Amino acid sequence: MDKKCYQIVTNNPVVKENYDRVIFVDGSFQDVLLKARDLVHSGHQLINHPLGASIRMFFSPYRSILVSDKPDNLDINHVEIIENSIVSYNKQMEHRKPDEANRKDYAFIDGELLKSSLEEYKRLSI
Amino acid sequence: MKLELGRIHIKDIQLGNETAVKDGILTINQDELISRLKEDERVKDIKIDLARPGEKVRIIPVKDVIEPRVKIEGDGNGFPGVTTKMAQLGSGKVNVLYGAAVVTVGDIVGFQEGVIDMWGEGAKWTPFSKTNNIVVDIKPVEGLAPHAHEETVRLAGLKAAEYIGEAGRNVEPDEVLVYEMGTHAEESKKYPDLPKVLYVEMLISQGLLHDGYIYGVNSQLILPTLLHPNEELDGAVISGNCVAACDKITTYQHQNNSVILDLYAQHGKTINFLGVILTPELTTLEGKFRTCDYTAKLCKTLGADGVIVSEEGYGNPDSDLLMICKRLEKEGIKTVLITDECSGWDGMSQPLADTTPEAVAVVSTGNVSHVVTLEPADKVIGDINAIATLACGWEGCVGEDGSLQCELNAVIGATSEIGYHNCTVKLY
Repeated sequence: MDKKCYQIVTNNPVVKENYDRVIFVDGSFQDVLLKARDLVHSGHQLINHPLGASIRMFFSPYRSILVSDKPDNLDINHVEIIENSIVSYNKQMEHRKPDEANRKDYAFIDGELLKSSLEEYKRLSI
Repeated sequence: MKLELGRIHIKDIQLGNETAVKDGILTINQDELISRLKEDERVKDIKIDLARPGEKVRIIPVKDVIEPRVKIEGDGNGFPGVTTKMAQLGSGKVNVLYGAAVVTVGDIVGFQEGVIDMWGEGAKWTPFSKTNNIVVDIKPVEGLAPHAHEETVRLAGLKAAEYIGEAGRNVEPDEVLVYEMGTHAEESKKYPDLPKVLYVEMLISQGLLHDGYIYGVNSQLILPTLLHPNEELDGAVISGNCVAACDKITTYQHQNNSVILDLYAQHGKTINFLGVILTPELTTLEGKFRTCDYTAKLCKTLGADGVIVSEEGYGNPDSDLLMICKRLEKEGIKTVLITDECSGWDGMSQPLADTTPEAVAVVSTGNVSHVVTLEPADKVIGDINAIATLACGWEGCVGEDGSLQCELNAVIGATSEIGYHNCTVKLY
């Protein structure tokens, strides 16, 4: 895969400011998941996993997800991953609200995790 | 490799003029400890507090917990590759201040919440309410970038454990535990009829506040790798992860990894324990495929009949856990998974973010969404503002008497996915 074949689906203003190739979602973490789902259903592939690695990151108001820039054949594994992620997110947030008080710090950490994902992606790509 | 862990039972801790252990009481020279930690120019202030089991004390936000130790024979005192020169770990004699723990606190970002309550309901859920805790609160110099801040706090905790551990150098241990295992060829010759079992330990490896280190190497950068179990028991694995309070594996838990200890106990009796494979939990799907394939390949190449896999975290690592399971079972290797559940307040929802039909043997270490009520503390060590983060999850979670409701996910080690915690498991 070309090292620049990605787009970033994000609602994080810090990411919007610092990266090209951004599909900005003016909405919530959940809206980012839904946008990624729509793209996956139309043949884009997920580059990183839609969810974070810790419960605390579920409470983040922000999320950035990497997807391929061009649609290809529908990949049923990717459909399953994004759909499961949405179910999982909704369940986790059933009683919880996003942690708005720490919005700024979450924006920063989301940006850091995105940077780490991009570095990993570039190490992996042909 | 032969490792002897000499446990010096610590019954109490206090501050004093020297750092020493006498009759099971650990005394710490606070000024000396502080000046040692301030050798790092990035450290502005250090505050030392003590928290004993039963005291009405809350520690928040906890970054790491480390067991103080000293190596009295053999290479590799401290944490080679991190705080001391590189050395091969896994052999020699170590004196352990058993019952004492260094707990680091320090805000790196505002939303950290890991809590240790030393009394009451909260204490029931964290294993670190039973240790005598030396709490090291680290304030870095102004303007330090978050990565440097995280590293400063991480290293200060390790150095504090090293400094305090020295107090045990010339003390006769109360008990000595011996961990000895030869090469695969030697052990297979000794136990030709026992099933060969590997332990796969997954580590969050995803960036700032989501990292783990092996001999100082960030696990993001490795392919899955094989360790002799003694290496981990001797301090080869360090936590750099501090946002998943309930199921992060602290450095203390690596040093005392329950899965390794339990497999060791069965070695030569019911199983032939082959060792530990450390597997990074990456963020990209391609990265996940690679590490999961590689993990399964290592298990097959080493001739494992059975594999125990433990997860770290929740969310995207669930995919790795189940992909590893699927690959191993397809190779005919019996696989047991250890994970916690995120199954809602009532415990009735699907527990993981992913599923696979091959996952037929799963040990649950608890429901991270379980709600507990924490009474107000007499004393808070760390950042009192972090309590707001702990409690602001939903309407009505703060009571009129100052008590607060939180989910177990905020409590350090509450649902440890390597089983180093207070919950027990029922067989169904």
